[in-house]
Amino acid sequence: MASVRRTKSENLYIRYLILGSWALFCLMPVLWFLSIGFRPRTEIITAQPVYFPTFSMDAWHMIWSDWPMAKYLRNSVAAIFGSVVIDLVLAIPAAYSLSRYEYRGREDIGFYILSTRMMAPAIVAIPIFFLFRNMGLLDTIWALMLVYAAINLSIVTWIIRSYMTDIPKELEDAARTDGASDLRILWEIIIPAVLPGIITAAVIAMIFAINEFLFTLLIASTPDAYTMSVALANFTGGSDGLIYNAIALVAFLAFVPVFLVVVAIQKHLSRGLTMGAVKG
Amino acid sequence: MQDSPLSEVGAAQVAPTVTKKPIRRRSKRLKAWFPYLLVAPAVIYLLGITLYPGIYAIVQSFYAVKFGPWNPVGFDNYVKLWGDYQFWGALWNTFLMGAISLSLQCVIALTLAFYAYRDPWVRGWRIIFLVPMLFMPSAVAFIYKLMFLDARVFSDILIRIGLIDGNLAIQSSIWGSRALLILTDVWQWTPFLFIIFVAGLQGQDEEIEEAARLDGATWGKIFWNISLPLMRPVIAVALVIRGIDITTMFANVFIVTKGGPAFGTETISYFIYRTGFKFFNFGYASAASVIMLIITIVVAQVVVKRAFKSGKD
Repeated sequence: MASVRRTKSENLYIRYLILGSWALFCLMPVLWFLSIGFRPRTEIITAQPVYFPTFSMDAWHMIWSDWPMAKYLRNSVAAIFGSVVIDLVLAIPAAYSLSRYEYRGREDIGFYILSTRMMAPAIVAIPIFFLFRNMGLLDTIWALMLVYAAINLSIVTWIIRSYMTDIPKELEDAARTDGASDLRILWEIIIPAVLPGIITAAVIAMIFAINEFLFTLLIASTPDAYTMSVALANFTGGSDGLIYNAIALVAFLAFVPVFLVVVAIQKHLSRGLTMGAVKG
Repeated sequence: MQDSPLSEVGAAQVAPTVTKKPIRRRSKRLKAWFPYLLVAPAVIYLLGITLYPGIYAIVQSFYAVKFGPWNPVGFDNYVKLWGDYQFWGALWNTFLMGAISLSLQCVIALTLAFYAYRDPWVRGWRIIFLVPMLFMPSAVAFIYKLMFLDARVFSDILIRIGLIDGNLAIQSSIWGSRALLILTDVWQWTPFLFIIFVAGLQGQDEEIEEAARLDGATWGKIFWNISLPLMRPVIAVALVIRGIDITTMFANVFIVTKGGPAFGTETISYFIYRTGFKFFNFGYASAASVIMLIITIVVAQVVVKRAFKSGKD
């Protein structure tokens, strides 16, 4: 009995050692990078790394006065919000169709939608670039909005579809015998019932839109369309090189809202990330 | 509502006397099309970003396109690509770094999930493990560029511990640079697999584990022999999604190594970007895109379809 208890506590010891060191591994670079954001530029790239820097708000003032940070933020918010709206408008009916009807080609259509998620951005980058150039949309947030919506549409559709499949058929049948039309059933019964799924899909689409880099890099060539993700790569001071403290602050500015919404939808996160395949 | 042709005939015959019937017939035809109508806008939108660019790339790959007119060159671009060691190198690097990174992430995430999934204390603090994933990839690339290359914190710590004498020359070493990109990816995306594995494990029936425990099986044995085999579909789905994202790695390469040294970290995405948007060799870049597209379609048909089928049940 005694030996069993000892191995058990030893197990616990190993468990917390491993989990604890991984937590440290996750957090140390983040904390260190936070300290970069609040130190003067002279203490960032030095012969010997500075571990105890002087506190400074230089970078904070700089991103708002020397750089059009407000514009970057506005661009990001507008492009991301617009793309999520487009996604929901297209994905909710599509998911409804894929989950609640039986018809020929349904599985193939569903798989086609999923397979667009597998497309590397680089494959379509050149044609999309020319497409937007011909439409005169280069360097506008409209182009970004359309691209983000396209990237996320498959994910959003599949997540919502997965939630809709779970709704018991009886709920719908009851409304149908009352004479409700299909669209009214979608609007009044299905959508309220899958609201957590819709929110999860929207949050995940938002995160991927914030992260998007390659398309934004190609489409945006002036601050008119820079988003936070690409603006980072442009914090350079000519011969001075990269302005790391500004980069760090912008990184955290984007991190905070993402962190908050992820905390809010934590329970649904794994289901969302696997496009509904894993029910957490 | 019946769908047999017989009832349709009946409806047509009675139609003149009962005014409601013609409307119902039209709505019946509409009914058959209704699900297609619902899904059509999304499909059309997606065709716009997959089919159109796909055809465009295929056409463009048979031309030499710089800035001006398109000059038809037949299969020249593909012939050149066949002999281009940088293209093959990029394919190899994408596969190599992707495979190493994915295996590391899978093993680490499974280990962590194994220790975490029945632990109530860890459950409350799970969000800590997710933090790296919540940064923009471009931000993470800068964290690692600064830490390892520009500010040399990693070298400095090793020197202080006494493991090395001078600064590490990570930038000029191919394997050093590859290791850095792999580390960046592992740091940021292991949480992705971790959260999915934990969810999959927690979704399993606790009673099976309990029964095995009463039979005297150790915790590790239960995990290896019972929980893990049941997890196969979950692991497959997670690895497929992660694998796709790894092979499209771009921001890290663009920010941290620019594909160097000696093209040793150039991924296929970066190769296409460099040929197209740095050297403005659009036809050639399109040819590379087409090759990648073919690989993607094959992988999607074979691997992805299977993973998502099994993941559902």
